[in-house]
Amino acid sequence: MSGRIMHIDLDAFFVSVEQAENPRLKDKPVVVGGRPEGRGVVAAASYEARAYGLHAGMPLVKASRLCPQAIFIQGSFPKYRDASAKFMSILADFSPYLEPMGLDEAYLDATGFESIHGSHYQMAAKIKQRIKGELGITASIGIAGGKVVAKVASEMSKPDGLLEVAPGEERSFLAPLPIARLPGIGKKTEQKLNGLGIDTIGKLSTLPLKALKSHFGASGEVLHRFARGIDDREVEPPAAAKSTSRETTFSRDTKDRSLLKATLRYLGERVGADLRRREKRARCVTLKLRYADFTTITRRQTLSQTTDSDQTIFDTGVALLNKALTGEKQPVRLIGIGVSELVEAGRQLEMLDTSTQRQESLNKAIDRIRRKYGFTAIQTGRTLRLKDIFPEGGDGYTLQTPSLSR
Amino acid sequence: MKLSCLQENLDRGLSVVGRAVAVRTTLPITNNVLLATDQSRLKLAATNLEMAVSCWIGAKVEEEGAITVPARLLSEFIGSLPAEKVDISLSPQTKTVGLKCARFEARISGVDAKDFPPIPKVEGGVTTKVEVEALRQGIARVVFAAATEESRPVLTGVDAVFEGDLLTLAAADGFRLAVYKLPLAKAVSKKTEVIIPARALGELNRLIAEQEEAVEIMVNPDKGQALFSLKNVELVSQLIQGTFPNYSQLIPKSSTTKAVISVGDFLRATKTASIFARDGSGIVRLVVTPGGEMTPGKVVVSARSEEVGDDVGEIDAMVEGEEAKIAFNGKYLTDVLSVLGEAQVSLETTNPSSPGVLKPVGVDNYLHVVMPMFVQW
Repeated sequence: MSGRIMHIDLDAFFVSVEQAENPRLKDKPVVVGGRPEGRGVVAAASYEARAYGLHAGMPLVKASRLCPQAIFIQGSFPKYRDASAKFMSILADFSPYLEPMGLDEAYLDATGFESIHGSHYQMAAKIKQRIKGELGITASIGIAGGKVVAKVASEMSKPDGLLEVAPGEERSFLAPLPIARLPGIGKKTEQKLNGLGIDTIGKLSTLPLKALKSHFGASGEVLHRFARGIDDREVEPPAAAKSTSRETTFSRDTKDRSLLKATLRYLGERVGADLRRREKRARCVTLKLRYADFTTITRRQTLSQTTDSDQTIFDTGVALLNKALTGEKQPVRLIGIGVSELVEAGRQLEMLDTSTQRQESLNKAIDRIRRKYGFTAIQTGRTLRLKDIFPEGGDGYTLQTPSLSR
Repeated sequence: MKLSCLQENLDRGLSVVGRAVAVRTTLPITNNVLLATDQSRLKLAATNLEMAVSCWIGAKVEEEGAITVPARLLSEFIGSLPAEKVDISLSPQTKTVGLKCARFEARISGVDAKDFPPIPKVEGGVTTKVEVEALRQGIARVVFAAATEESRPVLTGVDAVFEGDLLTLAAADGFRLAVYKLPLAKAVSKKTEVIIPARALGELNRLIAEQEEAVEIMVNPDKGQALFSLKNVELVSQLIQGTFPNYSQLIPKSSTTKAVISVGDFLRATKTASIFARDGSGIVRLVVTPGGEMTPGKVVVSARSEEVGDDVGEIDAMVEGEEAKIAFNGKYLTDVLSVLGEAQVSLETTNPSSPGVLKPVGVDNYLHVVMPMFVQW
């Protein structure tokens, strides 16, 4: 028996969270992403703002030009993260086969779970109801035999929609839709297909596999299956994260080493706190830099001993930074630091040097203080200057493009 | 310069000095090998400024002279030649070395030998002699414990104390310590302590692998150099400046558990566990259980990886003292167990966060201290 998959997508997530919190924002063009004169991009736009052509990823400056009356909100990642956690826990009440896709959407394998609720449609309606009741925001749900059609269905039903594609009707459901609707078809693929005279998914589904393969290589095979509504990918609960990272864009491109280091220190402390909270250690530290001309580099260093220490993460990051900036003439637009190759906790004890042991106790103490009094309650001297640059939020500094940088 | 020698000898000589050729360097000439006539022999030499290796091979010298040529190019070319006589001649005007062997001919552009960094002459200081087998053992048993990271330079070296007719070698990287004592074939007149780069000792061990003659050692702490004279080969190393940690205080004086284990069994169990520990931090857990009246003692060696699975191996042991639980980085155990030639090793522990001590049974000239890993049991 074929399964039934749901795709649940929260409508204009960041904006909806803000509107639920502040009802005066309802039914108004609202943009989350930062101040209009800022250099970030739109992280989310309300449906009212979308009517003016605004969309996620658009530079804020352009957004404010297109829709000057829009209300621009800085946004707060911790708030969205909390809302997302509630969203996922609601879904988990309906089926354990849950695959989160980012913060605001998820696939749910509903096969067999409908009997408790009457039908899949009724099950989905209950999910929507609970989200509305507990989070105050709306969700759109698509139900189909596979992930790809479920996603297209939820997309079509937006906002606050619910659309079920009956078993066996996947292909005919997709057929009249423009090809751009099909997940996996980007701008380039769309243009190429248009060039071949293919404008609907139906037409795409009639192309022989061989032809698609010759044009698109291995992904041609995927297109061939998706276009006919065939998708046997399972809903996979997420594996434990293999890395963690933080990054931020500066409000103005900078060459100021001490600012770069202060920011790196702050981001590194967030990464370290994250590691320790998850009781993991990392073997690898990665630095990410984006220069003024948008070239982006990453540099990584593998450590001889795994670490969860703020100091080691920072020291390694700074060494990578100094190396990267040697001979680099451009100012820096974005800086980020991350750790990867995570392993279970278990620390090599040292024979000659007790500094790592002491660092460990220090980190533990700082973590305890921060859990109780907030992240900025205690800081290293190096990060203090960030106080004058970034506003302090409830949980640390509010960096630029919070939605993208956390 | 004009001479001839045998391809096999030249090939072997180039491989002897080859490892001293600089790899990444700001001084391009250190990528070269020096060719110089030395009475009726050809001297080959290379240096990376930290270490220099010279090697003499038999040659028929018609005209004296010296030149340097790119080491890699020359050794690749010589290595591909048939085993016949090689004629070498230098054109002094163009600094071009002509090479002829059988029906092959090559010309390689050289750089004046005067620009080659001088190979230090080690004079004065302390002179002694070591039997080659003892030196091989000593180097093999300590050199791997030296640090490979440069953050504490002294730890990248091996501490060598010459005193009377005893040489004590020690290496430590902050997580483990290896100490080996060997006899000197010729007693030294005064106690001398130096730190020799582990890399140079590793190289020395490669060079003495097939030698039977004793090795002459000359150490001059004031000039910061050591010379190792082998048959037809000399290795000169810079010494590492600084003070080696006082390691005697790091060696536990007592223990609460002592297990005597077969080296082969322990090595196999550790290697097997390390396969599972690879994805994690390399954590290998040991549970040492004393035997009862009718049952032998045992050591259970285990590892687990959250994602992959787990492994448990059990080995017999003669255990004195209490039951013990301790975790080590598997690599540190396999490193030391792999160099032991003895049949049995003793493992002494006190508690899960105090160092473990490994000693081969039957000899008292080697000990290895390993810091454990702090884990949740």
